[in-house]
Amino acid sequence: MGDSQYSFSLTTFSPSGKLVQIEHALMAVGSGQTSLGIKATNGVVVATEKKLPSILVDETSVQKIQLMTPNIGVVYSGMGPDSRVLVRKSRKQAQQYFRLYKEIIPVTQLVRETATVMQEFTQSGGVRPFGVSLLIAGYDDNGPQLYQVDPSGSYFSWKASAMGKNVSNAKTFLEKRYTEDMELEDAIHTAILTLKEGFEGQISGKNIEIGIIGTDRQFRVLSSSEIDDYLAEVE
Amino acid sequence: MGRMTELPTKGGFSFDLCTRNDMLLKNGLQMPPFRKTGTTIVGLVFQDGVVLGADTRATEGPIVADKNCEKIHFMAPNIYCCGAGTAADTEAVTDMVSSQLQLHRYATGRESRVVTALTLLKSHLFSYQGHVSAALVLGGFDVTGPHLHTVYPHGSTDTLPFATMGSGSLAAMSVFESKYREGLTREEGIELVAEAICAGIFNDLGSGSNVDVCVITEGKTEYLRNYQLPNPRTYISSKGYTFVKGQTEVLSTKITSIQPKVEAVEGGDAMEE
Repeated sequence: MGDSQYSFSLTTFSPSGKLVQIEHALMAVGSGQTSLGIKATNGVVVATEKKLPSILVDETSVQKIQLMTPNIGVVYSGMGPDSRVLVRKSRKQAQQYFRLYKEIIPVTQLVRETATVMQEFTQSGGVRPFGVSLLIAGYDDNGPQLYQVDPSGSYFSWKASAMGKNVSNAKTFLEKRYTEDMELEDAIHTAILTLKEGFEGQISGKNIEIGIIGTDRQFRVLSSSEIDDYLAEVE
Repeated sequence: MGRMTELPTKGGFSFDLCTRNDMLLKNGLQMPPFRKTGTTIVGLVFQDGVVLGADTRATEGPIVADKNCEKIHFMAPNIYCCGAGTAADTEAVTDMVSSQLQLHRYATGRESRVVTALTLLKSHLFSYQGHVSAALVLGGFDVTGPHLHTVYPHGSTDTLPFATMGSGSLAAMSVFESKYREGLTREEGIELVAEAICAGIFNDLGSGSNVDVCVITEGKTEYLRNYQLPNPRTYISSKGYTFVKGQTEVLSTKITSIQPKVEAVEGGDAMEE
């Protein structure tokens, strides 16, 4: 790569106008476990693979999908510890927003603040960009929303999106299967089918995680037995 | 022009204005009174949980500033806190600790415990050395059972089966001391709390208006806003007042006609478009 001289310093542009460290961060995301999100007419679903490094790991202690506020949840692809830092900061910002405005933070505002944090880490000394892309799913007065935030700090609103290892197959599958009038239950089935596409081994409630939010505006992570029920329906 | 150097922000209360305040007082300035809640707040433990109670009058010196304010503040779904003292202080400190408890719930994935709220409150109040004038009755039901505590402005706390705070605390405590016993039922607990608050409402100037009650049991919290309204406002006429013409005595009359100062001219050139 001709850019290699500029690839070690985050805060230096390469001659082609790229920040190579951010490109590398996206590679870290691309080699992470697949995750995806689908926005339905009456809710949002996010799902991810939960492949653990060994069968000896206690899978009940691992939860990849996290809550940021009662009505906003997040899933990541990439480096788990980096996502933990972002989730913690976002939770605090949501609380501060509420303390200041006495209004529950809208999804777009929280996405913007999270993206700002991620961007700050691309323009500061002595730090590296976050090695995660986040899919933020929420339901507020503007209805169901799904946003993707990248290590560079850019964010996009999606009807359906995927990230991680199997991103191209997953996105192709979603493009074919997605319909504008999809409801939450259909979206959950589609999400499971999309994960199944690139899944190595036997899919079960123990090695995938699904989070949903409906018109009740309460984000929740499904239990493994609930996921098994959905898997049985899909088969 | 050089930029102003920014000092690092220090935590805690900034006493910088105290010398200025002293100087102003010496020069004869009347300090505006704080709005105190001049309150009766109570709590008791019954067989299934805790009951909290409060009156709804907020006073500013001798004036009633709010006839129906809310003194029972939300801390967590299973923890509520009554506040006496300076209204702004109780609001701010309970909001702040409620926010911290929410973050703690996300981090731990567990229901908040009453002792956590207690420790957060007392540490904050102690670090402000009593300048945050908040006297609280904190009650809730967590995994370890029902709890009731009182928190004083300087940061000390008590753990009690029944407690009263505020200017009406003596009136309310007299009711509790004579009628409280262990193992009260829910109805008896609510009755006793309402009676204690009414004692404060009727016998203390700083307390009045209505009774608010909050019942916290395992897995369920009921916030009974305005449980009793022993001081209804009676109006002479619901239609309002009517004033008959000629009721007001006319002392003198002076009529000044308006002289036009500006001549409005018709026509003329249109403005450039």
